[in-house]
Amino acid sequence: MSKKVDSSHSQGWNFEAAAMPFVDSLYNTAYRMTRNSEDAQDLVQETYLKAYRHYDKFQEGTNFKAWLFKILKNSFINNYRKKQSRPPQSDFAEIEDALESRVSDEATQNIKNPEDELLEDVLDEDVQRALDELPHDYRMAILLADLEGFSYKEIAEILEVPLGTVMSRLYRGRKLLESAMLDYAREHGYLRDGSPAKMRTRDADSKEYRDKASG
Amino acid sequence: MDCHKVREVVFLYADKEMDGELLISFEQHVAICPECARRAVHAERLIMVVRKRCGRQMAPADLRRRILTSLRHREAGN
Ligand SMILES: [Zn+2]
Repeated sequence: MSKKVDSSHSQGWNFEAAAMPFVDSLYNTAYRMTRNSEDAQDLVQETYLKAYRHYDKFQEGTNFKAWLFKILKNSFINNYRKKQSRPPQSDFAEIEDALESRVSDEATQNIKNPEDELLEDVLDEDVQRALDELPHDYRMAILLADLEGFSYKEIAEILEVPLGTVMSRLYRGRKLLESAMLDYAREHGYLRDGSPAKMRTRDADSKEYRDKASG
Repeated sequence: MDCHKVREVVFLYADKEMDGELLISFEQHVAICPECARRAVHAERLIMVVRKRCGRQMAPADLRRRILTSLRHREAGN
């Protein structure tokens, strides 16, 4: 038993050198999935510890970054299902259905496209908000493809789903994302000439309401 | 290829995941159909918008430290 120490020690250093360059990528994905820094940090740390523990199972010559992301994905699913701190799946399904019907309406329309111009108006916060609201299967596929530059084949490996599923998640996810992004772009386009205090007022109202209700 | 099929596979094209005969027939259709040509450009732009506008979060320095500490702790056999 004690003889193992030497080899695992050198393996450890090897692991560090191979794995640490991906901290930012893993963290960014974790942050977009959990939507907060604390959970994201825990998720990334857990990913590293699991990866270290199972480093002997990693096959030399295969994609190490994809392997790390697969562990991140599994950790996310485990934690997410355990915690249930977010809206349950059924809510996502409802949101998705609502968006979906809008998307298919758009698909059947002939394209005259104010959308192209509107894409120009999309702000960083519109993209982030729209991403945050996507069902997590779609969100993850989009993050892996668009922000991490993984190929469809790699995404299929990471998510452990068939290639066709990757394609449909990207397709549907991007359609939903686009529809939401453009809504937000329209919204602030409108707010720009309209009343910019709308959001703040609503917030204040609900706080007042809470205070009243609790006191 | 027809317009319906183009709509179905347009992201494959935009993601540069298309090759062989599919790519050839896609490009042939797009060359003669302005609507689908626009659709292809739009798909590429959509991806670009996501890539450019979704700001990246950098891992806090403390996280790096935490990870390294816990890894070295394991290495030491605890
Ligand atoms: Zn066409």
